[in-house]
Amino acid sequence: MNQSKLSIVDLTKRYAPGLDPAVDKLSMEVEEGHLVALLGPSGCGKTTTLRMVAGLMDPTAGSIIVDGRDITQTPVNKRGMGMVFQSYALFPHMDVAQNVAFGLQMRRVPPAEQSRRVAAALDMVKLGHLAKRKVRELSGGQQQRIALARALVVEPTLLLLDEPLSNLDAKLRETMRSEIRSIQQRTRATTLFVTHDQDEALDMADRIAVMNGGLIEQYDSPSVIYERPNTRFVADFIGQANFLTASVVADNGPTASGGATAGGASERNYTVDVDGLGRYGATGHPGFVGSTRELVVRPHRLRVSLEARGGEAGIAGTIVGVSYTGDTVGFSVRVGERTLQAQFMTSSAAVPRPGDSAYLSWNPSDAYLLPGNPEVAAA
Amino acid sequence: MNEAPLFKPKFKIGKPLFGILVFILYVFLLAPLLVVVVTSFSSNQYLSFPPQGFTLKWYEVLPDESIFVNGMQVSLIVAVSVTLITLAIGVPAALALERFEFKGKGAVLSLFLSPLLVPSIVLALGLVLILSPLRLTNTYEGIIIGHVAITFPFVVRTTMMSLATTDTSCEAAARILGAGPWTVFRRITLPIIQPGVIAGGVIAFIVSFDEAVISLFVAQSGLPTLPVQVLRYVENSADAAVAALSVILILISLVVVVIVERVMGLRKAL
Repeated sequence: MNQSKLSIVDLTKRYAPGLDPAVDKLSMEVEEGHLVALLGPSGCGKTTTLRMVAGLMDPTAGSIIVDGRDITQTPVNKRGMGMVFQSYALFPHMDVAQNVAFGLQMRRVPPAEQSRRVAAALDMVKLGHLAKRKVRELSGGQQQRIALARALVVEPTLLLLDEPLSNLDAKLRETMRSEIRSIQQRTRATTLFVTHDQDEALDMADRIAVMNGGLIEQYDSPSVIYERPNTRFVADFIGQANFLTASVVADNGPTASGGATAGGASERNYTVDVDGLGRYGATGHPGFVGSTRELVVRPHRLRVSLEARGGEAGIAGTIVGVSYTGDTVGFSVRVGERTLQAQFMTSSAAVPRPGDSAYLSWNPSDAYLLPGNPEVAAA
Repeated sequence: MNEAPLFKPKFKIGKPLFGILVFILYVFLLAPLLVVVVTSFSSNQYLSFPPQGFTLKWYEVLPDESIFVNGMQVSLIVAVSVTLITLAIGVPAALALERFEFKGKGAVLSLFLSPLLVPSIVLALGLVLILSPLRLTNTYEGIIIGHVAITFPFVVRTTMMSLATTDTSCEAAARILGAGPWTVFRRITLPIIQPGVIAGGVIAFIVSFDEAVISLFVAQSGLPTLPVQVLRYVENSADAAVAALSVILILISLVVVVIVERVMGLRKAL
């Protein structure tokens, strides 16, 4: 088996005895050359985890292994990492080239090689012409790139990014996102990236660790995180989601796509009874028959028809809200006690109005029974 | 849209009246200095005002007054030593208080700042009682110990202020890039807090150079500093040489401030 670049084993951080741990027995493996996003709301422990990997914070328990070597006790200045801070943390009393050269000086790289590598790093972030500038003369985006060049010029064992885009305006953030990603792929730097922005994580990461309350709720590729969320928290945090309660009635065999679950068994098609609203198709892990679980359907995977057609009636509801944004149109559809969200690309067809009746249905493969959450009590 | 002023004065006193008020305040602050400067050039036989004629003779006699020359020498040695020693212990103390958590931090901080709250005459008396048995009265060591005690709080305060306003992630970034604790301090922290450190140093120098009470108690007979000599001189004679000397002292303080302002901006530092 391929050895991981970074292994985190049972990492725990407790700020004070008696307090809930900020990071609770977290374990994960990061492959060489991958960009892994630690994603979660503030206070979920993602930054604490990153600072422990960097060595800026001592873990209460657990270990951090890089290239097969346990570095848990290695002091921060001997870990050979590169980090970009949220505030960029450029040294204000040095010019751009001196900032980038700092790590090379610490490694006693000969001056000639230093200037060659600094120039190469600045070219990589397309700011070679600013080498002699003072830090305070740079814009936020430029500072961000210099910080990236400074972290990468030392060819770090791991590149650590702590919310590096959160201080940039929305437009620049998009540009920097793809730029960081392309630099990361060119340098093949194994990267740990902390963010609270799901779009950033989905766009940039090879793998995403969704964190909540000091625990990893799910660690998977972006598409799996989105399509096959493990828990209600993940489904809710990544994108939009409708949640329904479903009693699993019958197993209809393996799915056509043959999607494999984490355990290796293939996914099954089920017939489920949704809140007494009728029987519909759904997908999930094997062995769910007879249980009651949460069912998640993304708003744009819901089909809405305005009249009941024979054969496929769907769940009857009333449109209570329409939000038209040009590219897409969203409906709030009231079904009994709950309101479901549906979303479509707009077409030239007439947009329904609030008060119209609507019938909701979905493809069985678009309705997913959450495996991570415990069974819910039957409605 | 006009922004409403944060503070609206109850009475509008008008521009000319306000100008006069400011002028009076300046006169109040600067008049004693002006009188001293004018007196130093006056040909009056004794220290008095107004002047009766112009002369430079008070400046001419200064280099021959050995007590002033000696006093100046003592004061400069003391002030320079005090500045260096206070910085050497004050900056690390500020660093410890601002960057590290430890038990009794609040108490230590209060202790460090307490010399500002104690009347210097009380401090001076206490110092004499301690220094006498140690045979440190009338020595440079004795005066320097006393002056370090009163200048230390200034250095701690200005340095802590600089530290509090800097982003600690610069230090973290340097550590990650491979710098050990001492390198981080020398290459990153110190240059960033330099304004506060220099401001503290300037204040320490001026306070020590000006200080009379402690110097008087600790080293009156053996090692009089310039302010002590001035005090003694005025007790015994009443000519205007002392005014000329005062002008020199003002100029020294001014030169220090101007140099610092030119080199790195004292206003930024303070």
